[in-house]
Amino acid sequence: MSFIEMNNVTFGYEGLPVLKSLSLSVEKNSFWAVVGPNGSGKSTFLNLLCGQLKPDEGKVHVDGRAASSYSSQQLARILSMVRQEFVPVFGFSVRQTVMMARFYRTSSLFENAEDIEAVDAALAATDTMNFADRPLGHLSGGERQRVFIARSLAQETPVLLLDEPTSHLDLKHQIRIFDLLKQMQHEQGKTILLVTHDLNMAVQYCDRVLLLGAEGAFFQGLPEQVLESGQIQSIFGVQGHQGQLQERKFFIPLGRFSMDRPEKST
Amino acid sequence: MLTSTKLLVRVVLAGLLLIVVMAGCLLVGSQEISLHKVLQGPSIEGIPNSDYQILVAVRLPRIILAAIVGAALACSGVVFQAILRNPLADPYILGVSSGAGLGSIIAVMLGWTWTFWGLSALMVASFLGAMGTVWLVWSIGKVTGKVHVTGLLLAGVVVNALFSAVIMFLSSIAEANKFQTTMLWLMGSFVELDKMSPLIASGAIVLLGILFLMTLGNQLNILSFGRQDARSLGVPIERTCFLVFACAALITSVAVSFSGLVGFVGLVVPHAVRLVAGPDHRQLIPLSAIIGAAFLVIADAVARVIVAPAMLPVGVITAMTGGPFFLILLIRYTKTVHWGNA
Repeated sequence: MSFIEMNNVTFGYEGLPVLKSLSLSVEKNSFWAVVGPNGSGKSTFLNLLCGQLKPDEGKVHVDGRAASSYSSQQLARILSMVRQEFVPVFGFSVRQTVMMARFYRTSSLFENAEDIEAVDAALAATDTMNFADRPLGHLSGGERQRVFIARSLAQETPVLLLDEPTSHLDLKHQIRIFDLLKQMQHEQGKTILLVTHDLNMAVQYCDRVLLLGAEGAFFQGLPEQVLESGQIQSIFGVQGHQGQLQERKFFIPLGRFSMDRPEKST
Repeated sequence: MLTSTKLLVRVVLAGLLLIVVMAGCLLVGSQEISLHKVLQGPSIEGIPNSDYQILVAVRLPRIILAAIVGAALACSGVVFQAILRNPLADPYILGVSSGAGLGSIIAVMLGWTWTFWGLSALMVASFLGAMGTVWLVWSIGKVTGKVHVTGLLLAGVVVNALFSAVIMFLSSIAEANKFQTTMLWLMGSFVELDKMSPLIASGAIVLLGILFLMTLGNQLNILSFGRQDARSLGVPIERTCFLVFACAALITSVAVSFSGLVGFVGLVVPHAVRLVAGPDHRQLIPLSAIIGAAFLVIADAVARVIVAPAMLPVGVITAMTGGPFFLILLIRYTKTVHWGNA
């Protein structure tokens, strides 16, 4: 059995189906991109995996057990989650926030040397060490996003679920985070499922893609198979072109307008 | 990072401050007393020592009571703000105040004069009213099967409004003296105790409650990031929320039964301590409890002397000082902490 299994999962909000008869197997040590238009159920998919939502029909299994049968503490040992948005209420610092990832490991009120080491490593990996003592509320959206990625890393789980983790990041940090995730997949055997709108990154870094569409339509498979122009056209209603440059794959969405610029009216 | 040694040092320092405040306030009152005379014991040459009696039998129990109530309210304020993710939450937000008020006015209206274990009928009724209301709010908030913050807050608002209307109705038909008794109670006034045993018991309940809530400090830190995050990080949300809610409601109800409705302590003290010591609930809970105790001891001392020989309800002092202080805090706080959309 695969590490994560979804069998005929159907889920909807107030009678409106979002996912329909979705089945998929996620092997250990694989890197999945979950892509699709707004409202196609990408975040819902992650919430079903981490037991926050229960399917209307079908089953979700994580490591051989129904996801909903795990206690929160048990699940926190297997899955960590980076969410799309977060609004801090109190003035916790970056380091305090990342340290919260270590809660499930200990019954003690205070962190130990191992916790501090793991947090320092996560801060260094996400380039957040230089503002580790600043309150979370003082950071930009991108900096905050990196802090939550650091927290997910400090949780040291075999599976990482990330909901648009690079949507606010500049180009350098987008590449850095994708490189880091790829490195963790290779060196630490992590299983990664990442929701993204960046099809270019998905085709470059991921082993598998799940493409979700309206009314429960979905495609899954290798990036070059799933992100091909016909399917992109049918799901997003836009054209795109997949290509290869120096052994790297890329994907360019094609708009309605050409590169020609209108002549200046001087 | 917070270590056990750092926490211990800070708690001990705050504790020393509380002892100094309590010792200072022992000497404050409408009747001047001589410390030298107090130290001579309960009687001097066979004659009862009035200064000793005032200090030991009147002021000391009252000051201890003020400290217990202050600690309970400040601690409850901290934890309600955390689980409700709302910086404006206070110990009364979920109906404790209206429940206690309703209990007390029923006791006064019915003319109950019985006592139970040294506690007056008014105290017992307000305690039961507070606990009953909290249970009602929790049950309404849980009507969808799970406890949601918004559901709890709305249930608290509805129950508070409903019970306040009943209190207003009963007050309007009450006789003048009964009305005054109830109003003084609702403004926050300490009871006078004949026995020490209720004081010791309530002190023990509040102390145990604070220690228990302190052990949930890590969970409260995470819960203040929201339910979804808390679950991902391994916090058993339903169980933690229930334990925090029940414990905070219990110590608030104990406090209210001894003091009526003392406002602002549970709102201002947590923010003031958070501003100085940071938001970590492992230290915010004990430090807020100690500073809350000191604040209320001082407020009570002021209430005892400001219009001596008469006495103001302590709630008047906390509201008059707490209101402007809260405004100053609010201005400073918004500069340092991002509250998001909360």
